[in-house]
Amino acid sequence: MFRHLFTLIWNRKRANLLLISEIFFSFVVLFGVAAVLITSAKNYLAPHGFNYEQVWRLEVRAGQNLKMPRAELDDVLRQVKALPGVRTVALTSGNLPFIFNVNNSVYEYQGKKSPVTNYYDADDHYNEALQLHLREGRWFAPADDGSNHRPVVISQDLRESLFGNGPALGKIFTWENPGKDVKPEDQFQVVGVAEPVRMESDFSAAIPTAWLRLLPYDTTHWETANVLVRVAPGSGGELQEKIARTVAGVTRQWTSQVRVMDDERLHRRRYTLVPVVGLCIMGLFLIINVALGLFGVLWYNISQRRAEIGLRRAMGATGAGIGWQFLGEMMVVTTFGVVLGGLLAAQFPLLNAFDLPVQPYLLAIAAATGAVYFITALCAWQPSRLAAAIQPAVALREE
Amino acid sequence: MENLLANSPETRTQPAALNGATPVLRLTNIEKVYQTKTIETVALNQVNLAINRGEFVSIMGPSGCGKSTLLSLMGLLDEPTSGVIELDGRAVTSFSDKELANLRNLKIGFVFQSYHLINDLSVVDNVEVPLLYRKGMSSKERRQRALTALDKVGLSARTAHFPGQLSGGQRQRVAIARALAGGPEIILADEPTGNLDSVMGEEIMELLMTLNRRDGVTVVMVTHDEQQALKTQRVIRFFDGSQVS
Ligand SMILES: Nc1ncnc2c1ncn2[C@@H]1O[C@H](COP(=O)(O)OP(=O)(O)OP(=O)(O)O)[C@@H](O)[C@H]1O
Ligand SMILES: [Mg+2]
Repeated sequence: MFRHLFTLIWNRKRANLLLISEIFFSFVVLFGVAAVLITSAKNYLAPHGFNYEQVWRLEVRAGQNLKMPRAELDDVLRQVKALPGVRTVALTSGNLPFIFNVNNSVYEYQGKKSPVTNYYDADDHYNEALQLHLREGRWFAPADDGSNHRPVVISQDLRESLFGNGPALGKIFTWENPGKDVKPEDQFQVVGVAEPVRMESDFSAAIPTAWLRLLPYDTTHWETANVLVRVAPGSGGELQEKIARTVAGVTRQWTSQVRVMDDERLHRRRYTLVPVVGLCIMGLFLIINVALGLFGVLWYNISQRRAEIGLRRAMGATGAGIGWQFLGEMMVVTTFGVVLGGLLAAQFPLLNAFDLPVQPYLLAIAAATGAVYFITALCAWQPSRLAAAIQPAVALREE
Repeated sequence: MENLLANSPETRTQPAALNGATPVLRLTNIEKVYQTKTIETVALNQVNLAINRGEFVSIMGPSGCGKSTLLSLMGLLDEPTSGVIELDGRAVTSFSDKELANLRNLKIGFVFQSYHLINDLSVVDNVEVPLLYRKGMSSKERRQRALTALDKVGLSARTAHFPGQLSGGQRQRVAIARALAGGPEIILADEPTGNLDSVMGEEIMELLMTLNRRDGVTVVMVTHDEQQALKTQRVIRFFDGSQVS
């Protein structure tokens, strides 16, 4: 019977072209939506690689055209750290986790280039504040002041891309295309390797990362200092006010603002979800449209084939058998559309588009396949029942 | 199976057929009423008739007198409003959809005025259609039987054609091959020559007569053609839902 249905569909391929292309189209849309959803979900379930809880972001701003000398900034840090409830403070660059501020670049080691890598400035206390998971080596320490190169800690994914399975600690890499006479502060010496981190949002993938040690610095020209503050559990508004007062106590001209990193994470999450939800809604509408179209075409098909239905009944088909035949035909048509869509979808992992892992694509293909069969079966269900209920004597009389 | 049927009251109370054997088909007190919202049409009124094995019977009557209705009842495609239909001595009343479908498949071949070929299937695939509904038949056997049937109707050279590429007479021969393929006991033909000119109609008539004579297939044919009817063994005439001779 299956072969018969296949012959029938094949001989009617021209008439079925519209159906097949609708199914193909739905498959591609569903595949896209599924790929996004699966990737997002997979990312969401992966560890962040650092601890964002009980971490605050303190932004200290000197007024316009005002200077921020190192000595006064150190004073601020020391006094904030001394507040009860503050565990540690660390100075870093403006591209903190979960905010829309990214510094990235490409690095190079012996002619081998890294993928695009996020980099952060970090002082010796940064790791106490964010609690990265170090796999190899150590975090920065005051002893690094004597180093001839700039100490860096890199994430495991950056390590793999630059050093593969070889040793990484002590190795020196540079920005890409370093040219001759690289300055010592642009020679990055690996002192530690951390687990991969996801600092952009709950739904983003891990991005190769390098933490560059803040050099002994002159901060006079800074307008803003970004400080990570790890606090004791349960700390709240009271401590935030104290911190603000402490900053103002050092110099009245500076202002400050304290934000909770977990709040910023949730805020960013909402932001990231909007396009995903939008995509899902769009996909849903498209699919509903296609489903209604399918429904209509099937309905029409059956009204066109009443004589054939009557004939098959006369030849020995049961009503239920007719219903199954129409459902089966739809499944064969669906198979054509799914195979075409699958061929297109398979190009993504095959051509390694977007540099993403293969597994989510395969899952997305499987999910889209299942969903398309489900939708077409659902659309074919009612028309097939209708076909099953056609009275053969009546159908054969027409024409 | 025969034993089961021996117990049914209908079989016991019915008189035996003329030649003593069980008729292939027997209709007793058949009534068919079509009920629509506005009117009630009595298509058949108290019809009693028996078709014997190996007979070639023609049914005649004016348009609308219920000939097609009678044929679809004989073919188990529809149920009478009242009365009993027996096929091979078995009353088919209260048979399930599945049992009826199986009986149609095994015992009955249909031929229609408008051929009812499936245009998207080749000639041989069309002839195989009834065999698709036969349990456990291999595709090889289906093909073999279809080719044999096509050979009988003289269309061996046209098996890969599509219905659209055939003349009306050829199409009707394909339909007859299809009716034959399953090896039925009885062929029900509703105006099989109605769409054909007299020459092709003659061909089809000859073919049906050959099948009847040579292969012993019982044929019941509705026709408007007095000449054709005269060639058959028995003519049953209808008027307004009732048998008049
Ligand atoms: N499904 C139906 N619903 C209502 N009335 C019907 C239906 N089918 C047939 N009839 C009526 O039953 C009567 C018999 O119809 P039938 O088709 O059996 O006639 P017929 O003898 O085959 O006519 P023709 O020679 O024109 O084919 C007609 O009056 C017809 O209108
Ligand atoms: Mg008729």
